[in-house]
Amino acid sequence: MLATVDSCVLAGLEARRVEVQADSANGEPKFFLVGLAATSVKEARERVRSAIKNSGLAFPGKRLTVNLAPAEMRKTGTALDLAMAVAIALAETGGRVPERSAFLGELALDGAVRHVDGVLVAARCLKKLGYERLFVPAADAEEAALVAGLEVIPCGNVAEVVAHLRRGEQIAPQPFTDAAPESSTDVLEHDLAEIHGQEEARRAIEVAAAGGHHLLLSGPPGSGKTMLARCLPGILPPLELAEAFDVAQVRSLLGDLPPGRPIDWTRPFRAPHHGISMAGLIGGGSGYASPGEISRANHGVLFLDELAEFQANVLQALRQPLETGRVTITRSGGSVTYPALFTLVAATNPCPCGWLGDSVRTCRCTPAVVDAYQRRLSGPLLDRIDLQVGVRRVPLSQLASEPRGEASVVVRERVLAARARQLARQGCLNAQLRPSRLRNLAALEPGSRLTLERWSERKGLTARGFHRAWRVARTAADLEGSELIADRHVLEALGYRLHDVAA
Amino acid sequence: MTSPPDLGSLNARGRWPPPDGPRVAIVGSRRPSPYGEAVAEQLAADLARAGVIVVSGLALGCDAAAHRGALVGGGVTIAVMGTGVDIVYPAAHFRLAEEILAAGGALISQFPDGTSPRRHNFPARNVTMAALSDAVVVVEAVQGSGALITAEAALHLHKEVMAVPGSIFSPLSVGTHALIRDGAGLVQNARDVLAVLGVGREVLDDPLKAPKRLGFELPGERDGILIHLSDVLTVSAAELARKLHLPISEVLGRLTSLELDGAVRRHGAGYVRALRRAKERA
Repeated sequence: MLATVDSCVLAGLEARRVEVQADSANGEPKFFLVGLAATSVKEARERVRSAIKNSGLAFPGKRLTVNLAPAEMRKTGTALDLAMAVAIALAETGGRVPERSAFLGELALDGAVRHVDGVLVAARCLKKLGYERLFVPAADAEEAALVAGLEVIPCGNVAEVVAHLRRGEQIAPQPFTDAAPESSTDVLEHDLAEIHGQEEARRAIEVAAAGGHHLLLSGPPGSGKTMLARCLPGILPPLELAEAFDVAQVRSLLGDLPPGRPIDWTRPFRAPHHGISMAGLIGGGSGYASPGEISRANHGVLFLDELAEFQANVLQALRQPLETGRVTITRSGGSVTYPALFTLVAATNPCPCGWLGDSVRTCRCTPAVVDAYQRRLSGPLLDRIDLQVGVRRVPLSQLASEPRGEASVVVRERVLAARARQLARQGCLNAQLRPSRLRNLAALEPGSRLTLERWSERKGLTARGFHRAWRVARTAADLEGSELIADRHVLEALGYRLHDVAA
Repeated sequence: MTSPPDLGSLNARGRWPPPDGPRVAIVGSRRPSPYGEAVAEQLAADLARAGVIVVSGLALGCDAAAHRGALVGGGVTIAVMGTGVDIVYPAAHFRLAEEILAAGGALISQFPDGTSPRRHNFPARNVTMAALSDAVVVVEAVQGSGALITAEAALHLHKEVMAVPGSIFSPLSVGTHALIRDGAGLVQNARDVLAVLGVGREVLDDPLKAPKRLGFELPGERDGILIHLSDVLTVSAAELARKLHLPISEVLGRLTSLELDGAVRRHGAGYVRALRRAKERA
């Protein structure tokens, strides 16, 4: 007898439909699995056989063929286990799967249905493909139920599922997971109020948050670069529903959604170590590439501490995502595109020993070494970082006497207002404005245009540097609630650059 | 102490031997403070205006500032190199070397063509600088600096040794202050050097005599912020904002505006007052 059950495999943030067909026929008892299955899928034969037996169901003592269609598509992962088991069970005894239903789940040898990664992504895609009912591991049911209009059946074990299909034994569908935004009144882990002094860097962080600009902090060890960077998420608005969904999808793919709280409203903050590989940062792996840190930082902050210590090719690979807000990676399985719209915050020492320009300790690096160090950062990457600020070390004895600044909640009010202005005017943040739109949306007062032109003439700004200052000036004006960019906004924007490091 | 090479056997590019006139070596740290860099440039410019040929080593920092100053002053300048004359080191000074040649100066070296930069060649070059000059002015030098080798060689060769004082808080003043303590002439302006050389008397009556040129020229007051800046130590925008109770965004803007006018300069993460209006780019 023949039974057909639907499932899917994931290719990045897309799901590909897979039809699992099981046929039991007379002949020598054997189990064939065909349809371009990768090793992880071939192993399913053993899992499925044991799971069915140990669930008290009969495994067909016949010639059994399971086909994964379309057969020309390579299938990986363990999410097809449940669909295979159901198909085999139904092929033995007869029975039909309800229309427009799909099955996802890995099997344990005792028949339990185990967690698989990417259920949220699969659920969203299957809904789009016209499916109405999805059988998922009980552990992932809440995640799948985030997708509105999809009936989610939580599956504990194979016996339960088969009993439900054959005899109509009820399994209560998972109620829709209502992702209502929680008002975030939590105490911030990193509050700007705790930072003494550093007015320039604080202001730069505010501007970065308001306009979505990338930020580079340069300063000696212990000057508080990391602490400043960690304050950034606290002055950003919480995620919008669509954004939170995007974040959850990437986390789902990586199996990183916290149980019981599939939607997180706080903006991601990712701080990978500088030893990270290309695949780790950008995304990669065999078959279909899995998302890297830049995609995990989507709609949030990517913090790269010790920027100059990162491998040069890894840093170069950041250029495309910084420009486009997404990354396309091609591996043997095919190309996948992941979102990577993040605010980059980078921190660096001014030289290898770290003390160049410090008021107390002397730098021990030779000029050639400093030059080589700074050159690692120069060029195309720095050209894409709108705000560049030097951070000075405050000696410990003076730290307490330095004034504290405003608390994050106060700064956040201004940031929110500035972001609202930008979204109302142009539908995106200033950092994403292309030069052509900049001309239309960011009118310069005649005086401020002159300042910008004088500066680029004297200091030799590149076209990119010119637009960079223009965008930052737009944000400075937005923070002030001003539609026109005045001279002071341009001058402030021109101040955010490092003489030594930047082009 | 290495003895100086036979001056007739030097390799040269450009005009060599140089025109007649007093020759003064201006040497100093490769990583000077903003003050030292400004002093070297200003001093060289004023000396060049008085007809002095400025000798230096084409290195980073004070050396380059001295060559630049001499060019600004419309004078002839000689770069004594620690490499072959066909190799400009550091490479970043390629344009400076071209400008020196274009202005009628020379690049000279005791090393054969093709000699690449070697650590042990530079002390010998420093001695040559002393041998070529009538006086040596040290601008800023930490203890053990190569500039002090030039000064010592000058002493041995019975040339005048002079030094510019600096801040007592700066390690860059240790070498120069030690020289002054040991009897080197004190340099506060170009006149001090010219007096020791016994030249430029007629020139002294002209451009250098104007009262404002007695010391170094300060830019005209443009913005009240300027008086809160130092020409030796860097001050950060944050410190200024705190001191003046102004929003940081405004301070940043005003500093940038002053920078645009050439009245202040960036140095590391802070700002210093520029001693002279920066030469406008062509």
